[in-house]
Amino acid sequence: MLGYRLQKRDEPWSWGAPIIVVGALVLSLGISALLLKLQGKSAVEGLFVLWQGSFGASWALEDALLKSIPIFLCALGVATAFRMQVWNIGAEGQFALGAIGATWAALNFPDLPGYLLMPLMFFSAAVFGGFWAYIPAILRLKLKVNEIISTLMLNYIAILLLEYLVFGVWKDPKSYGFPVTPEFTGGAVIGQIGDSRLHWGFVVCIGAGLGMWAFMRFTRLGFDIKVAGEGQRVAMYSRLPYGKLTILVMAISGALAGWAGCIETSAVVNRLQPSIMVGYGYTAIVVAWLARLHPLYIAISAYLLAALRVGVENMQLELQIPAAFGSIMEGLILMSVLAGQMLVTYKIRRKK
Amino acid sequence: MRKLMIMVIVAAMSVMMATACFAGAKKDKIKVGFVYVSPVADAGYSYAQDQGRIAIDKLPYVESSFVESVAEGTDSERVVLNFARKGYDIIFGTSFGYMDPMVKISKKFPNVAFMHCSGFKTTPNMSNYFGRMYQARYLTGMVAGMMTKDNVIGYVAAFPIPEVIRGINAFALGAQAVNPKATVRVVWTKTWYNPALEKDAAISLLDMGADVIAQHQDSPGPQEAAQERGKYSIGYNSDMSKLAPKSHLTSAIWNWAPLFTNVVEQVRDGVWQGNESLWWGMDQGVVDISPFSSMVPKEVQDKVLAAKKEIKAGNNAIFVGPIKDQAGKVVVPAGQTMEDGKLLGMSWFVEGVVGNTE
Amino acid sequence: MLESFIVPLLAATVQSGTPILYATLGEILTEKGGILNLGVEGMMSMAAFVAFAVAYTTGNPWLAFICGGLAGTVMAMLHGFVCITCLGNQVVSGLALTILGVGLCNFLGTPFIGLAAPGFSKFAVPVLSSIPYLGKIFFRQDALVYFCYFIPFIFMIFMNRTRLGIAITAVGEKPGAAAAAGLKAVKLRWMALLGGGFLIGLGGAYLSLAYTHLWANGLAGGRGWIAVALVIFAFWRPGRAVFGAYLFGGVMAFQLRLQAIGTHIPSSLLLMLPYALTILVLIFSAVRGRGGNAPSHLGINIEPEG
Repeated sequence: MLGYRLQKRDEPWSWGAPIIVVGALVLSLGISALLLKLQGKSAVEGLFVLWQGSFGASWALEDALLKSIPIFLCALGVATAFRMQVWNIGAEGQFALGAIGATWAALNFPDLPGYLLMPLMFFSAAVFGGFWAYIPAILRLKLKVNEIISTLMLNYIAILLLEYLVFGVWKDPKSYGFPVTPEFTGGAVIGQIGDSRLHWGFVVCIGAGLGMWAFMRFTRLGFDIKVAGEGQRVAMYSRLPYGKLTILVMAISGALAGWAGCIETSAVVNRLQPSIMVGYGYTAIVVAWLARLHPLYIAISAYLLAALRVGVENMQLELQIPAAFGSIMEGLILMSVLAGQMLVTYKIRRKK
Repeated sequence: MRKLMIMVIVAAMSVMMATACFAGAKKDKIKVGFVYVSPVADAGYSYAQDQGRIAIDKLPYVESSFVESVAEGTDSERVVLNFARKGYDIIFGTSFGYMDPMVKISKKFPNVAFMHCSGFKTTPNMSNYFGRMYQARYLTGMVAGMMTKDNVIGYVAAFPIPEVIRGINAFALGAQAVNPKATVRVVWTKTWYNPALEKDAAISLLDMGADVIAQHQDSPGPQEAAQERGKYSIGYNSDMSKLAPKSHLTSAIWNWAPLFTNVVEQVRDGVWQGNESLWWGMDQGVVDISPFSSMVPKEVQDKVLAAKKEIKAGNNAIFVGPIKDQAGKVVVPAGQTMEDGKLLGMSWFVEGVVGNTE
Repeated sequence: MLESFIVPLLAATVQSGTPILYATLGEILTEKGGILNLGVEGMMSMAAFVAFAVAYTTGNPWLAFICGGLAGTVMAMLHGFVCITCLGNQVVSGLALTILGVGLCNFLGTPFIGLAAPGFSKFAVPVLSSIPYLGKIFFRQDALVYFCYFIPFIFMIFMNRTRLGIAITAVGEKPGAAAAAGLKAVKLRWMALLGGGFLIGLGGAYLSLAYTHLWANGLAGGRGWIAVALVIFAFWRPGRAVFGAYLFGGVMAFQLRLQAIGTHIPSSLLLMLPYALTILVLIFSAVRGRGGNAPSHLGINIEPEG
């Protein structure tokens, strides 16, 4: 087509990734700037305000870090499942179940001291989230039910379950009938780190990230997962317990998303309410793939995406640009980064 | 005893200091920030609040801005905080779920005035505000009660929270006041804004025999359903007559401008105070009904307008006993009026409403 | 009971199933060619907006309907550029397309909110509409629903009886072998993707022209995601797609009616019904030994040689 063709590079373009990201950013920001112009706003000012909101102040950095915590944990989870080609798009539902699990512990054992209650909350969040991921895993293994559809449907069910609980049995009698659970007691609240707005959930993120990296890299199980990711047949030839591994990655996936739900409930809102569900589970899928499933890159892309979202708010606040503009920018950036990634492995050559 | 004295003095002083932050400090320029839960373009609840913002923005000493589609939780905390950091003098948070974050932040920014909509918590520099929408609901209920032929009125509603339940109850009481046989059937959609689903919900009510459709939703979906079936509809948020001219009778509408203006004036003059609950009603013009359609007969209009006068004059508090619940048990005895605290947390349906509150 | 409950319920089912059916069929065509497109939600939103804008400016609903389809095609083109031309990851590209599409139509659509445009209204088909029960259910709908009755049949004939359809299936299954047999694999993928995009776009257009006659943010309301799920539910077969779309639409309509009657079941639990039932039906099919596999090259890009 058009006299050009793709040619595979002998070696991947080593500086490709950062250059492409920058190139894609320039391209999509350019298009966004054009859209701003069409709206009669100053494009330069718009982009400057965006930069300021994302990176321009220490609190902006802090805000983006804070926002990236649940995205990172969910993405880390789904990446584990994707490694084995198990298409878990149910992080959203597993997040909800994790929040439910943590709340269950917090409401039933309010008097426990923090050092007991907190582990219990994380444990039950992992169990609830893991269980929600176990259902599609077992359906796939025993009945060959496609996990994309089961995880997607379970997302809707999980959110409605959360609503059922909060609108019903868990409703705070002192909340004037509003759909929120009672506020968590001191031991059930994840506190702030020093004076910053950052909470200790951030440390959990670092731990989980390092843990997953080490697990995939140094343990036998991690290696098996990677091998099984080559396909069920390969797993069979290598005598790997494919079924057990599937359940394991789904459980890990669900547990991590569950932790994200636990942290969001405990550290941020200090109680369970339906509005904690804002689609982190879906964002996580994008982040995981963009990062090619690597924990470190997941951390970076989760942070950058969060920074973009935070920055867009600043554009709204300063220039009255509609919220939808943020989604346009996000979509454009994602698509151009994706399209550009081709250049890492291919060269464009003129047809002879 | 001395300890107690000291504590009392300290407490009194801190209250004085908190008020002193505002008292006396006259301001020439006031920056006002608004945080909305949905896009303002939707012509719904946030749109109505934004109309109020636009009204005060025209005042020479006011400069305003807003951030829309802000989820309750982390996002709202950050946005409210950003307004405060950027030196805004007043921050309006318009969704219930913003309450806890606003309480938290108001403590860190004692010089900023925080106004939270629809909640119940306050601090020395945070007040809450809301409108007595149920008064307008009562009047639209009267219209529906007189216009229904089959005595079945359908009500498409978003979430079973007190604000919505209170509206449905007032609507039902209004309908029953003029038509004791009227029943109100409720369908929950569990969404504030999903035009197609809301339309489906309205159609299901029409299929069940409803001939007037009312709504506590932000989209015009239910209006359209009524118009297509040749039945009547009653709108919400703003005048919806343009969206369904053949079915629309009247709408229960918000008008935030008077309340917002009052708040900015107080802040300008340095007399604004926190720890207050502004629950304004029809007498102050925050809620109203939109002009009647020509389909509403003169005698119906007159009756409703007469009732409106009574409400405005404070002679009809609407939730006046005897009020029975769905099971027929008297909840508010004859002669008693439900107090605001009870109204704020209303979570049961009055007699004549079909549906459940879960 | 039959007259007053079941017949109106089924009539509502047909309508609420129709946009999902258009989109599901579009996604089946796309996936048959081997491309996984998770951007359906964004494509439907964009198509709904374009269709409304065209109907408003030209006053011609049929033209608007076609333009809605074309909007779907254009969106599919973006996906194709990223995935087929640039070999990008199909999952991310699709999700990004959803984010972009929803954002773009909300951004561009603001001036159209609250306006009225011509659309399709219900009318009774002569003779057929007087069939007892069935007439009321199937033949008192709008033109686009009638149009939709034919599509699964055309679709089936196209996929199974025409060279092009068979070639597309071959590319989705074994692009290497198909190419060896002289088929232009990449070109066929493009055709499946763009054709599928057109059908998805029609589904979106249905929402703003017939389902409702207005433009509003979030008009797709999650239907795109349901369509993605129903493709799997349908085992990539148009017949089962009809069943799936109507089942889903029917259960949704049913739970609303249960509420309208005044049941005491909490609404959160009722709203779970369509989703839970989808899983249950899949389990039931699996237990009976029914199943279907995805096109074996679904989601895998064709790498250029050299």
